[in-house]
Amino acid sequence: MIESDLIVKALAYASGIGIGAAAITLIYSTTRTFNFAHASMVAWGFYIVFTMTTFFGGSPYYYLPLAGLFSSLLGIILYLAVNRRLLERGASEVTLMMSTLGVDLIFFGFLNVYIDYIARLIAARNIPVNPFFFVLETKDFTIPYLNIRGAGLVGPLILVVGVLFLHLLLTRTKIGIAMRASIENPSLAASLGVNPYIIYLVAWILGGFMAGLSGGFLSLVQTGNNYVGMLLIVSFFAGSIVGGLYSIFGSLLGGLLIGLSEYIGIYLLSIYLGGGILAYRPAIPLAVMVATLLIQPSGLAGVNWQGLYRKLREILR
Amino acid sequence: MDGELSIFIMQILLNFGIYLIVTLSLNLEVGFLGLPQFGRVLTVLMGAIVAGGISGRIIAFYLGFPWGMEYTGYDNYRIVSEISDILANNPLLSLQYLIMTLILAALLGGLIGYLTAYPALRLKEAYLGITLLAFGDIMNTIAWNFEPLAGGTTGVLVPDPFRFLGGYRFVGAVAIILAIAILVYVYVEYLTRSPYGRVLRAVRDSEVAAVVYGKSITSLRRNTLIIGGALAAIGGALWSMYTGSFKAVTYTRLVWTFWPWAFMMLGGTGNNFGVLLGVLIFSIARTFIIVYKGLISTYLMISPEWLEYILVGLVIVLLVLFRPQGIIPEKPLSTLGRKEINRLVEEYLGRTERK
Repeated sequence: MIESDLIVKALAYASGIGIGAAAITLIYSTTRTFNFAHASMVAWGFYIVFTMTTFFGGSPYYYLPLAGLFSSLLGIILYLAVNRRLLERGASEVTLMMSTLGVDLIFFGFLNVYIDYIARLIAARNIPVNPFFFVLETKDFTIPYLNIRGAGLVGPLILVVGVLFLHLLLTRTKIGIAMRASIENPSLAASLGVNPYIIYLVAWILGGFMAGLSGGFLSLVQTGNNYVGMLLIVSFFAGSIVGGLYSIFGSLLGGLLIGLSEYIGIYLLSIYLGGGILAYRPAIPLAVMVATLLIQPSGLAGVNWQGLYRKLREILR
Repeated sequence: MDGELSIFIMQILLNFGIYLIVTLSLNLEVGFLGLPQFGRVLTVLMGAIVAGGISGRIIAFYLGFPWGMEYTGYDNYRIVSEISDILANNPLLSLQYLIMTLILAALLGGLIGYLTAYPALRLKEAYLGITLLAFGDIMNTIAWNFEPLAGGTTGVLVPDPFRFLGGYRFVGAVAIILAIAILVYVYVEYLTRSPYGRVLRAVRDSEVAAVVYGKSITSLRRNTLIIGGALAAIGGALWSMYTGSFKAVTYTRLVWTFWPWAFMMLGGTGNNFGVLLGVLIFSIARTFIIVYKGLISTYLMISPEWLEYILVGLVIVLLVLFRPQGIIPEKPLSTLGRKEINRLVEEYLGRTERK
């Protein structure tokens, strides 16, 4: 009853949201910083991919790593200039949040200056694209035989590779184990010789990369404009919070859930309630998030799954 | 030049008045209660909706105009301009309409504040901040899409309660807004100096200690959220009536949540006079940027709109890094004057000596 097109698009979108939500969780669980600057980092990812495909041609997929690296750089700047000093001081969570908000406004301002600049370049070269409202969907490739859009496959692929990479990093490498240790218990990890500032830096680099990657990838799914980061940020937040804010894999799942509920949930609702409901799509992730929080204040990861399973078995017996 | 200058000052005073109300209400919740209120826009928007969709309807009903679905539909422009014409010739009715809107806005804003108290009691720090932010965005989505409420994407016009002032409409409106802002300032200052305000600080600084002394955190949070919500709604209603139109898309979390946060942080969180100063400085700076738009963009090659974002962001970051307490830090309050306290102490000592 649901068209395959919609499922493909929903999967692609949900994967993008999942990667971005994991970035927020990664940074939050290591540095206690709820990263508002995520919005601009994602938007920069959009625009890096857009600029590169416009001026150098080729498939947008080629430029995804570049988008990630650029946002990584933004993450490093944010960490070294602001976040590190505040963490040294032991600032409160709200202060940390506010500082990233300030950085977000600065990044957003510079993003728009940059957009104005490329708009002039594009006008001078007579390229038929609109930097204030662009669609890269048409540059996507189609998978032969299956006849579906590439994003529907590449998105979940990036997600799986990302999960594998994170899993290997966190369980097989020294820095990853140190990271997990300082997420679990920062002071104990520090007393065993783990330098927390290196862990923080790694978190910002990885988190920035994932933010840029998700932005670059989402540019293939939805239209880009200069406010795109601000529009999407609530979905990222929702994914991260539904996932529980402390579990990276939980947030990947949470993001996936939020993304799917936005596309497929609203579609199913529109069947029963009529097309008018489609306009309320932005409220869906927020409503899911608020409902999750009020029922389970620490998100999906806080649910005692084993206990639930045991209870269920007892009931069924 | 003289006329230009006075318009310039009026513009500053207008921004100052509106944002003072909103920022004071924010300060009450953030500075005194210690709540991460990232959803200030929620109640501001509610106030604006009251002006655009509810009190406008009531006055239409009173004057015998269509007030149901037609009010927010295509006829909105015609209906509202006719209502405004009637109001222009009837100062008493205008004032009644103004006061009724403010009271309704305060009531509904307070109701919203009461409703947000439920999550505010259950959630902590980041979770609560993001939940409140989500509430603001949900409200915005509803107001933007649900046409019968307040016009949806096309918006509605708001009957103008200031038109009876004729040629002095601009000056008069600014004066009324400023007067209300000063009233709100006096009220909040009085409230935060009262025993109630001192309990708020106690809860903020040490929740456990306050509970030990028998203070109910539940009712304190609920009441503060109600008061804060009501005040912010008054700000939203005033702004919507001043501009004469309501469109949900202009009530973003950036303009009505994050900017008041920046103003508050500049002035000094937890200090009402500091907040006043912060709002004044930002209002002057913003008005300068708006007025000298052309000049700035020719010299800097940057659109002034983006310059504003960069500057506000920079101010927030620098403040957080170098002066987290703001321009005027919070001071301990002495509730009675120093002389009064000394006199009482001496009186008491004298009495004990005699015994």
